Amino acid sequence: MHVALLGLGAAGSHVARQLTQLPISRLSLHDIDRQRQRRVASAITAAVGDDIDISSERPTASDPPDVVILATPSGRHPRLAESWIRAGSHVVSITDDPDDVAGLLELAPLAEHNQRRLVVGAGFAPGLSCLLASYAASQLDSVDAINVYKAGTGGPNCARQHHRALKQTGSEWIDGKWVVRRGGSGRELAWFPDPFGARDCYRGALPSPMLLQPVFPAAQRISARMAATRRDRLTSWLPMMRPPHSDGGPGAIRVEVRGQRDGAIETVILGVMDHPSVAAGTVTAVATAAVIAEQAPIGAGGLATWSNPKAVLTELYRRGVRVASFNGVLAAIAAEE
Amino acid sequence: MLTLARRVIMAFGLTGLIAALFRLRGTGGVPPQGGGWREVTPSDLE
Repeated sequence: MHVALLGLGAAGSHVARQLTQLPISRLSLHDIDRQRQRRVASAITAAVGDDIDISSERPTASDPPDVVILATPSGRHPRLAESWIRAGSHVVSITDDPDDVAGLLELAPLAEHNQRRLVVGAGFAPGLSCLLASYAASQLDSVDAINVYKAGTGGPNCARQHHRALKQTGSEWIDGKWVVRRGGSGRELAWFPDPFGARDCYRGALPSPMLLQPVFPAAQRISARMAATRRDRLTSWLPMMRPPHSDGGPGAIRVEVRGQRDGAIETVILGVMDHPSVAAGTVTAVATAAVIAEQAPIGAGGLATWSNPKAVLTELYRRGVRVASFNGVLAAIAAEE
Repeated sequence: MLTLARRVIMAFGLTGLIAALFRLRGTGGVPPQGGGWREVTPSDLE
């Protein structure tokens, strides 16, 4: 099994580390930063020895890998995915850019025609957030609303995308149609798992709704918000004032799914607190494992399209990603019981 | 002028009275007083 990982930034380098636990015989690691590529390749080689053939050559279409993981900066993922699917590879993309996600979802007919798997947004949010939404929905009879909140960033490219997202418009699914909303509007206070706590969250150019809507077409409302400070909002229309951190963690996700169970309205709230680059790397590796095992569906879609989120979350737990559920109890009701 | 001042005082007084009634007698629900985040373990996922 030959896997190629393109992009060795903050998330990509964590993906590389996680890939060593998969049943692969050949691993191609590529980054435009040659120094970083050598550093990651030597670290992985030292860890696995001769068990995996580590290569630093960029893979070619004449010898396509079985799976190509796109962990490069956002913007070119649809074009890269299309060329690799045409070459015969399965593709796992870690993008969090809405334009990229829209472009990747448009490749669904090509992927189905070629019997390839294209996993879209296999990172922290989207990615882990889609899994949480899918698992929460599995506890309900029907889904009326899904709200996704995310906080924190991975590496510099993730931070730049986070900065862009706050000034761009985002789409929400409301009563059967897409509604465009201004970035930075719609403040809501979201409580993330401890010790991350509460953060003000705002609308932005976030791709989670477009990945969740095809899976939950009957939902009346699907929205996503991102945590931001007053300074973030004030400077969102400017270029980034200073270079982003090499890792913007820790971060968190909160997913609320409201629906009906046994005729009563219920809300299931799940969350994760982790370093986004670490968790994204783990999610990408688990998604790649599912593609290798042919458990991911043929065609293009996010992780919410997978039929068994429990198995994926169990594997993520084994690899150190901890999911939490929020259970609020009214004191008055608890006292009566 | 005196009538206007009297009406303004009356309006503010009524507003304050109604607000106080809502504040003291309102039933806006009780926010969650207990519970919290709990780790989801593999046994919960089975």
